[in-house]
This record gives sequence, structure tokens and C-alpha cells, in this order.
Amino acid sequence: MDDYLIGVLSNIGVISFVALSAYLLLLTGEISFGQQGFFAIGAYAAGIATALWGWSLTTALVWGAAVSGSAALLVGVPTLRLHGLYFAIATLAFAEMVRILFELFRYQISIDGELIGPNGTDGFRNIRYIFDHNIDAFQFLLLIYSLLAATMLAFMLLERSRLGVIFRMIGQDETLAELQGIPVARYRVLAAGIAGMLAGIGGGLYAHLTTYVEPRIFDIMLGVHSLAYGLIGGLGTALGPLLGVLMDIGLLESIRALAGYRMIIFGGLVAMLLIVRPRGLLDEVVVHKIGRGWRRLALWVRRSGLKPRANNARATGGPP
Amino acid sequence: MRSVTHAMTTLAMLALCGLEAAHAQVRAKAEVSCRPAKKLQYDCIIKLANSRTSEPLSGLTLMVGADMPSMPAAHNVRPVKATEEQDKGTYRARIALEMYGDWALRLELSGVVRDRVVKLLRFESDRVGEATPTQAPGRHRH
Amino acid sequence: MIDLIQNTVDGVMIGSSYGLLALGFTLIFGVMRRLDLAYGPSIMIGGYFGTLLYLHYGAGPFAVAIAVVIGAVIAGIYVERLCFAPMKAGAAIASMVSSFAIWMQLEQAAILVLPRHTYPFPPLATAAPLEFGPFLVRVDHLIMLVCALALAAAVHIALYRTRFGLALRAIIDNPVAAHLVGINVRTAVLLAFAGASAVGGAAGFLVLAVDQQVTPMFGMWATLKGLIAMMIGGLGSVPGAVVGGLLLGIVEANSQWYFGPQIRDLVAYVVLFAFLVVRPRGLLGRAPEPGMPPKA
Repeated sequence: MDDYLIGVLSNIGVISFVALSAYLLLLTGEISFGQQGFFAIGAYAAGIATALWGWSLTTALVWGAAVSGSAALLVGVPTLRLHGLYFAIATLAFAEMVRILFELFRYQISIDGELIGPNGTDGFRNIRYIFDHNIDAFQFLLLIYSLLAATMLAFMLLERSRLGVIFRMIGQDETLAELQGIPVARYRVLAAGIAGMLAGIGGGLYAHLTTYVEPRIFDIMLGVHSLAYGLIGGLGTALGPLLGVLMDIGLLESIRALAGYRMIIFGGLVAMLLIVRPRGLLDEVVVHKIGRGWRRLALWVRRSGLKPRANNARATGGPP
Repeated sequence: MRSVTHAMTTLAMLALCGLEAAHAQVRAKAEVSCRPAKKLQYDCIIKLANSRTSEPLSGLTLMVGADMPSMPAAHNVRPVKATEEQDKGTYRARIALEMYGDWALRLELSGVVRDRVVKLLRFESDRVGEATPTQAPGRHRH
Repeated sequence: MIDLIQNTVDGVMIGSSYGLLALGFTLIFGVMRRLDLAYGPSIMIGGYFGTLLYLHYGAGPFAVAIAVVIGAVIAGIYVERLCFAPMKAGAAIASMVSSFAIWMQLEQAAILVLPRHTYPFPPLATAAPLEFGPFLVRVDHLIMLVCALALAAAVHIALYRTRFGLALRAIIDNPVAAHLVGINVRTAVLLAFAGASAVGGAAGFLVLAVDQQVTPMFGMWATLKGLIAMMIGGLGSVPGAVVGGLLLGIVEANSQWYFGPQIRDLVAYVVLFAFLVVRPRGLLGRAPEPGMPPKA
């Protein structure tokens, strides 16, 4: 696999984490323009852990997720009363605050005669863990995707679990959910915390993938992009945001000939897509239909295998 | 289902642990100067040296890629291989960018030394210079 | 103390243009109940029209101002037709994300046509700053303030003294009822959008002329400042937009003087966040009505 492809796939993998982070909040009915803040916190925390404190990558990633998750909880509580647009702008404000704070953040240690560490607007260079430990690009790609696969599995489980149903209920109608006895506040904060952790894991991976981060990377563009991926790919399933990321980065790569016009084309495509499918490609309706189609197929296969002579209406697996 | 999740995360962690062997690596430092060639194409001269001893690093495979800091992971410029010049440790590469602006050049070294150096530069239509932080509008000082 | 007053005066000046930006934003939000993320970039397109005129024909400030407004209006109508008009009632998030996609489109289009990092803008005035005792007031700032106040007054008159304004206020209050009494909501919304873009264009021209340059970053900057001022002043409130803008300007000017430009931006966001947590409706906004939450 050539290095370029590995690079592109690694990028897709890392950005998927932020996209999934925004998606989780969308499930609970909230728009967040601020997940890039937790991405940043995860990146810096994990980077500091390996580059300045000499921790191992695993511990650093866990640390990054923990810090960003806690930050998310801290933000989730005061914003509980906010909904819709107000919540969205509050998250935006928070993420920008984080970015500016990193522009002011200086924490450097001298290691081997070199100053290493975050240096305000200059950013944080030399997060060289994968070089110092002989991890090549392909191995890191595997790491990214195994973590992503584990996350996707968790999401699939979530969709089938009570927690997932609760999240979607809150997303549909909070008052109704409250009336059903669900402590909405607690679940919203939980969702915020998990989403923060997801973004933090992505951030930690990103920092080590590129070995260099600066505050400018974590601006609003990233945040709105991650939101957009879920919306384009579809809000019916966790594969939606992945599809969105794939479409954006994958498509952007393949329209090489029109390099200078990419955003123009892509922006136009997105706008038109959203007119026709406001909840994305794989929205709830599509997912439901696919699910129903599978079930019918499975039923047909099973029935035709077991009872070859079946000719009564019940065995045809038709509509109920 | 649950056990599969466990298995995969364990595999990931094992992979990490297995790879942890700390080496004292040779680190590289680079000097980059670029000049505009054709539209959105630049000729770059890169001097690589050992960051500690300053002796030039020769015979390496150098791939030059670029990324835009303001849009992470969005503009993947296909890395080009640099050719070494007569002077030891001096390499030349021609890169094609997609937009003018600030780009983080990614110099990937492999071969005898494996490293990566990142250089931030501002690419404009007529010159290439340092990337200074842009000033926001609305400056209202006297 | 002198510094504080000087800063406040400066802040009021720049705040007046923030107020104008917020005014356009709030008109669009009031009428559509959705956020237009492409607002700043459409003003930037206007700015680029203006700089082209200035570069190629050496036009004076007045002509450039008209070019900026025209550019902003064209871009605004484009956004409205693509991102807001075709969307069904409940698809507010889709509209916002769509407007974001168009934001990127507009930004790239601008960079393609004018790729450099900065382009010149004609100054509003070249006279020396006026002195009022220990205080200095730049002439172009003064012009900006006067123009902004005049425009805000014009918008107020348009909203409260004309039939069209009445129709708009009806739509802001209750779109369904407005439709039922025979107001052509779609046309009114389109016109409101054009008007808001024109106001934004004027604000943009003032800021760019004081800055004497236009950069590709202007789009995002304008959107953010307009957004913050609008939220502080109160979503959907016209006087709130002006008050919010002035307040933001004052706070920013003082923060920049005492702590530097980064703290200035930080403080703006902290103030915004504080308002949202403590008093989401802002200074002059309406209390959210029961049964009509501004949810997506």
C-alpha cells in the first residue's frame, strides 16, 4: 500500500472520530459546533503525555480521552438548559475559547537540549512517538482502524440497547421523554461526556499521526465539518458520519483534476443533497427500509430452506 | 458481540505494547527554501542535517507532502520524491499545491534515518515566505 | 481612567459596525428562524467586488460602497435560493449545514478570483485624527459611527413605518398567521434577505474601509462578530442587535488595550458563553414563548 493511500486512509479514520462525536450529540437532538474543542484537548493532552512525560501511547490516548471527556462534562452541565440554536452557539463559543487558550498556552521542557512542548501560536511540534518507537505508517493505520472498529461496534450495540433508545427518545421530544420517567438531564450529560471522549481519542491519534499540531487546526471549520458529515451521510446509523467523511475526503481526493474548484463543487453538491435529503443519505427511513429488507430476505431464505413444499400464505414471508 | 469488542481492543493494545522499544534516534533538521515555478507549482531546495551534529544527511529517501493547517486532513497533496543534488544533504523537489496560503510541508525521511520534519510556509503567487499569523480585521488602534 | 474612556469611545465606533452586522443577522433569523452561516462570506463577496472596482478603476469610496452592497445582495439572494427557500419547515439543521457548505463555496470562489492574502480598500478619510482634550478620535471612525447609526435608524423606519416593514414584523411574530392574512411570505422573506444583505454589505464596507484591506478571513470574522453581538443583544431583536454590537465593541476595545488581541477575542467568547448560560435571551430579546421553542 503506498504511503499516500495510507495517509489518506489515516486521515479518514481520525476525522471519523470527531464526526461520530458530533453524531452522538445529534442523536440526543442537540447540534454541537464545538466538538473540535475536545479534539484539541485530546490532541494536546496525549501529545504532552508522550512527548514531555514519556508515557506510552496507550496510556497517553486514555489520558487524552479522560481529559476531553471531563471537559465535556464540565461544559455539559451549565448548558443543560439550552436547546437548539442556543446550545449550538454555546458549544461554538466554548470551542473557540479552547482554541484561543491554546494560543496562549506555553509548556515547554528541555529534553536532550531541545525545547519540546506546546508553544502558543507556534503550536506543538515534535510529537515524535511513532518515530522514536519504530512504528511505521501502516501499523499506525491499523491502530486507528482497530480503535474505530471498536467504536463502531459500540455504536451498533448502542442502537440496539436501552441506552440508545433513550438517546433517540430525548432527541425526538424531550418533554415526552421526561414524562416517561427518564432523567433527561443525566442522559444528556452522559452523552456529552461520551462524545467528548470520542473526539479526544481522535485528537490523540491525530497528534501522533501528524506529529505537529497548532491551535489554528482546531477552528470552526473543523467543527462544522464534523457536524456536516453526519448530516450528509445520514443520521439513521453510525455508518452515516463515516459515509460523510468518506464522501468528503475521498471525493476531494478523486476530483484531482479540478483541484482548485473542489470546495465549490463539493459545497454545491452538499447544498443540493440537503434539499432532497435533509437528514442525510442514510437517514432513519432508509435505514429502516434496509433493515426491513434484510429481515424479509433472511426470513425467505430460512423458510424456503426448511419447508420446500410450503404453499400456505403464512410461509411466504409477505407483508404482515 | 461483546467479546469481539474486547478481542479487538486487546489486539490493538498488544500491538502497541509489542512495538514499544525506545531507541535513541537520529533526528533531522531541515532548511527549506521554495520558489514559484509555474502556477501553483513550486521548486523547493531542502537541506537536511543531523539536528545534533549538523552534519548533512545524505542518501536518504525524501518524500515531500503538504497539508493546510486551517483545514486539517482535507488537502492531501500527493507526496513527491525529492532528488538529491550534488551537494551532500541537499535535495530538490517540485510540489504542486491546490491553493495559495499557508501550508505545512511534511518532509518524510526514510532509509538510514527515519524521521519527519514539518515546516510551515506561506505560498503566494509570486513568493514563498514565512507564515506569520494573520491579523484579524477590525484593528482599531491608533 | 483616560484610557478607559478612550477605549470606550473607540469601542462604540467599531461596535456600531458590529451592530449593523448583527442587525442583518437578526433580520434573517427573525424572519426565517434559522441561522445563515454564509452571511459573513456573502458580505465578503461584496467586499471583493468593491476591491476589484478599486483596483481596476480607481473608484472612490462611494462607488466602492455601492459595489460592496450590490455584491453582498447578489450573494445573499444566491444563499437564500439555495439554502433556505427550498427547505421544508422542520429542516433547520439542514439549512444551517447547507449555508455552511455555501460558505466554503463562496470563500473558495473569492480566493480563486483574487488569490492574494490581502487586497486594498479605499480609506474613508485621510485627515488627521480629531482631538477632544486628551482624547483622540479618528475621522474615519467617526464617519463609520455616523453611517452606522443612520443605517440603523433607516432600518428602524423601514420596519416600523412602512407596509413592507409591517409585513416583516408580522412574519417575525407568526409566519403562519401572516400567511393566512394574505402576506406573500416567500417573497417577503426573499426581500428581507436582500435587505439584510444590503445592511450587512454596508457594515462590511465601513469595516473594510477603516481597515483599508480585505482578506479571505473576513467572511468568518464578520459572521462571528455579527453572531456574538446578536446573541448578546437578543436573538430576533432589532434594538438588541445595536445594543449588543455596541457592548461587544466596548468590551473588546478595553480588553485589547489592557490584555492584547488574543484576550480580546477570548473575552468576547466568554461574555457570549456567560450570557447564554445565565440569560440566553440576551439583553433585549424576547423571553422564549411556551410552545414555540427556537429548537431546530
